[in-house]
Amino acid sequence: MDKNLLSLFQLCDSNFPTGAFSHSFGLESYIQSDVVRDQRTFFEWLQVYVHEQLIYTDGLACRLVYDALLREDLEQVWKMGRLLTVQNLPRETREGTNMIGDRMLKLSQSLYAFPLLALYRDQIKNKQSFAHPAIVFTMVAHGLEVPKPNAILYYLYSAVSSLVQNAVRAIPLGQTAGQVITHQFHSELQRAAEKIIQLPENDFGIVSPGLELAQMEHERVNIRIFMS
Amino acid sequence: MTNWTGVLSLDLEERKGKTVAKNVFFQGAFKVMRPVYHDDTGQVCYYLLNPGGGYLDGDRYQMKITVNEGARVTLTTQSATKVYKTPKDYAYQETEISLKKGSYLEFLPDPLIAYENARYQQKNIVRMESGATFLYTDILTAGWSPSGERFTYDTVQLINEVYLDGELAVFDHIKLTPARQNMAGLGFLEGFTHLGSMIVVSEKTNSGLLDKLYELICSIGSNRIKFGLSKLPVEGFSIRILANSTQIIERVFAECHRLISQEWFDITPRSLRKY
Repeated sequence: MDKNLLSLFQLCDSNFPTGAFSHSFGLESYIQSDVVRDQRTFFEWLQVYVHEQLIYTDGLACRLVYDALLREDLEQVWKMGRLLTVQNLPRETREGTNMIGDRMLKLSQSLYAFPLLALYRDQIKNKQSFAHPAIVFTMVAHGLEVPKPNAILYYLYSAVSSLVQNAVRAIPLGQTAGQVITHQFHSELQRAAEKIIQLPENDFGIVSPGLELAQMEHERVNIRIFMS
Repeated sequence: MTNWTGVLSLDLEERKGKTVAKNVFFQGAFKVMRPVYHDDTGQVCYYLLNPGGGYLDGDRYQMKITVNEGARVTLTTQSATKVYKTPKDYAYQETEISLKKGSYLEFLPDPLIAYENARYQQKNIVRMESGATFLYTDILTAGWSPSGERFTYDTVQLINEVYLDGELAVFDHIKLTPARQNMAGLGFLEGFTHLGSMIVVSEKTNSGLLDKLYELICSIGSNRIKFGLSKLPVEGFSIRILANSTQIIERVFAECHRLISQEWFDITPRSLRKY
């Protein structure tokens, strides 16, 4: 198991070159309007982002995709790729997520020998599904036999750790502050992962209006360091 | 089988340049008024009406609208949708819209007002063929309570699904639970009280139109509202607006609607007089 876990940790590393480094998912709009300006306000944004958006989209998708893989229901997996994409109304966030998913899939294909990854690639090529990091991650975690609750938790961790890195650069915060936030956020991640296990399936895709609006506003931001 | 409180179905077609009903059916607490033609374009306008005056505990409403090839319709309500307290079971409304090639439907309901302890779920399912155009708006208010306190409703859940040639193209899911969430807080309504949404799906969409709409909305009220505008994964766009009154959102939507009607159909829409 340790060997498999180490293998999955490589995907969680914020240095894993998926391009997540270039996406703030609306955080930059809040930084520019001075709503997010320090450690405390960033922590608040991160809480809302994880508990009011991420769990209903990526998080719930991890669970549903994992379940679908267990019962070998690939149609459901491809369907989730579409759902994750079409529920993402802000263009930059949607396209950015597809790009990250695409890169993660490409990298995963060169690291892991799971035939499923190539099937996913074909579906995307034929426009039957869309690339999404939560799906790639879940495929790899499932392939490595990492249990579902852990897979969900590690996915959330990977999403949050790149956001913290981005906040450190953009707000900016000190490196220590970044580490403190990540550390303090551990209990939030556990809480989020537990919630995801309990969510009714039809809660999929709930978005919080303010967060989504900030993601749309980002398209019209003049000076930017992030693509979303 | 659901026991519907009110059902309504409308099947519309184009006959000699005029959109007419092929079939109209309603039963229970749902009604549609006589069709109105606001101008000589042949586009028909239907006003929906809830004779009961509001949605009550456990109410279930269903609406089915079919717009056949080349037909054009405006669908609106006669007044705001009011949802009263729902102690036992939430109130629910589902609308299924089918748009054939070359048809046009604009669905412009009045605002939604949820009263104290109200739970409401609304689902709009739109199935369109390519070449059809769909334009939709909704406005969610802070609700109403005798004490004047805002956001005293329990839950409002609004779901929009748009299928284009059978494939899901838009999935929009808002669920506000003021009892559990801080409506004024970051990420929610951020100090505003009203949320407006507009969804438009049409092959005629281009980035030039999006730029024009953006400028237009800025000129109306950039200091009084907060808004976002973005292209959908298919040809079309969505707009979200946070504001402090129904009127300002209605004005923004009316102006956007006017611009789109002029650009795409060379029509200037009449105001939908209701009183």
